[in-house]
Amino acid sequence: MLGIIVVSHSEKVAEGVKDIAEQMNSGQVLIRAAGGAEDGRIGTNPVKIKEAIEEAKVADNILVFVDIGSAVMGTETAIDMLEKSIREKVKIVDAPLVEGVLAAVIQASVEQDIEGVINTAIESKNMCKL
Amino acid sequence: MIERQITIKRDDGFHARPAAEILKAANKFKSTIYIKKDGKLISAKSILNLLSLALKCGETIELIIDGEDEKQALDEIIGLF
Repeated sequence: MLGIIVVSHSEKVAEGVKDIAEQMNSGQVLIRAAGGAEDGRIGTNPVKIKEAIEEAKVADNILVFVDIGSAVMGTETAIDMLEKSIREKVKIVDAPLVEGVLAAVIQASVEQDIEGVINTAIESKNMCKL
Repeated sequence: MIERQITIKRDDGFHARPAAEILKAANKFKSTIYIKKDGKLISAKSILNLLSLALKCGETIELIIDGEDEKQALDEIIGLF
């Protein structure tokens, strides 16, 4: 099973991206949202991210998608706090948040290879909209 | 090789859903499966291609399928548009 963690500076964005992705999820991906700082303020919270990752620890691989800037730092701090057995399964994916998460969830329904799922998510940054 | 013109009938509010269904169906077959729209040719086995195509109800596309299981592939996929 694949785990996906949606990290955003906004709790609403993280929940919203999760909601969209769940539309395409037929139970093969465990999706968790970790958005916002304490008290729902804008920011990231390493403890929240760590807990979200831990909730997905049954997954064989856990991919973390982040929005911008310090979300990467917050996630790296969270990963450092994890037990080694969980930490080894986690990877931050360099992809757009909405497109990347959606592409990964859908690709995971046709491909078992985690590298293929990661590459599809990364390539989603080249997707033309117009 | 089979070439078939089809008109999009589905009117889902969220087009990622039919795209995912087409992807899943297309990946079951060995044949190459292409969708041609406005001169653009994309593989139906790639979710990014399908999403960027953004098919709308009423549009006409061409389905181009080539391979040993092309007939079965056409039968399965044609109903998903």
